[in-house]
Amino acid sequence: MTQPPIPPQTPDPEDPLVEQVASAYRPMHPTRIAAHPIWHDLSAHGRVRAFELATALRKVEAALDPEGLSSTARAVLSRLR
Amino acid sequence: MNEDLDFLVIAIAQGDVHAFSRWLASAEAPLRASLVRFATVVDTEAVLQEAMLRIWSVASRFEPDGRPHGLLRLAVRIARNLAISELRRTRATPVASEILAEEPEPTAWAPPDPMLQKVLRKCHEALPDKPKEALGARLASQGAEPDEVLAHRMQMRLNTFLQNITRARRLLAGCLSKHGVQVDPELLS
Repeated sequence: MTQPPIPPQTPDPEDPLVEQVASAYRPMHPTRIAAHPIWHDLSAHGRVRAFELATALRKVEAALDPEGLSSTARAVLSRLR
Repeated sequence: MNEDLDFLVIAIAQGDVHAFSRWLASAEAPLRASLVRFATVVDTEAVLQEAMLRIWSVASRFEPDGRPHGLLRLAVRIARNLAISELRRTRATPVASEILAEEPEPTAWAPPDPMLQKVLRKCHEALPDKPKEALGARLASQGAEPDEVLAHRMQMRLNTFLQNITRARRLLAGCLSKHGVQVDPELLS
């Protein structure tokens, strides 16, 4: 693969946290789906970044999925009750 | 406005998982967008997933009001109420009035772009091994396992796993961009 140019990034200490919170993983509590444990450690700016990154990632995931389902939709389907 | 998804309601109410999958595929984006104003105060991903699960549970009792997008509007209302409940449960400070404002009507959303799908598959195939494996592990887990578990299974440190996820999305975004597909800037962040 010819790697496309990627703009230089200024690392943000919250980057690893944002990346994790932007995933679809959420722990299941007995009566509800709970917040990602790391979400509480994010600043307001980090939370917005995680929201925006999740929005963009889900679009990509759905486009890669044969049924057009993102990891969020797949997580929900695996937990139908 | 987009296709009214209410034609799926009867099948969903009868427990048709395939119909619910179709509904999820279209409803997720506008439902997520309806939660944007809660992004700094509650974990909207958890609220979104819980709202979707509740739609599955209540679909058999759903009564259309004659207006389009009835099930989606119900989902927006459920998600908003869940977000406010969570906010009240976890915060001692009063909730800002703009957050408690009436729920918005679902806005139009972009249908899947066939060009994006075609190019994305090519770009995904061309990813280097490690980023592709990390992204694949995330997709295969279907949101059931935290990144620490996925990293451990791949014999990677968590930071290495996350760096591979970051690299995968940046490479995909760069590749899409190179093929003339407009990408969300967040993918390059």
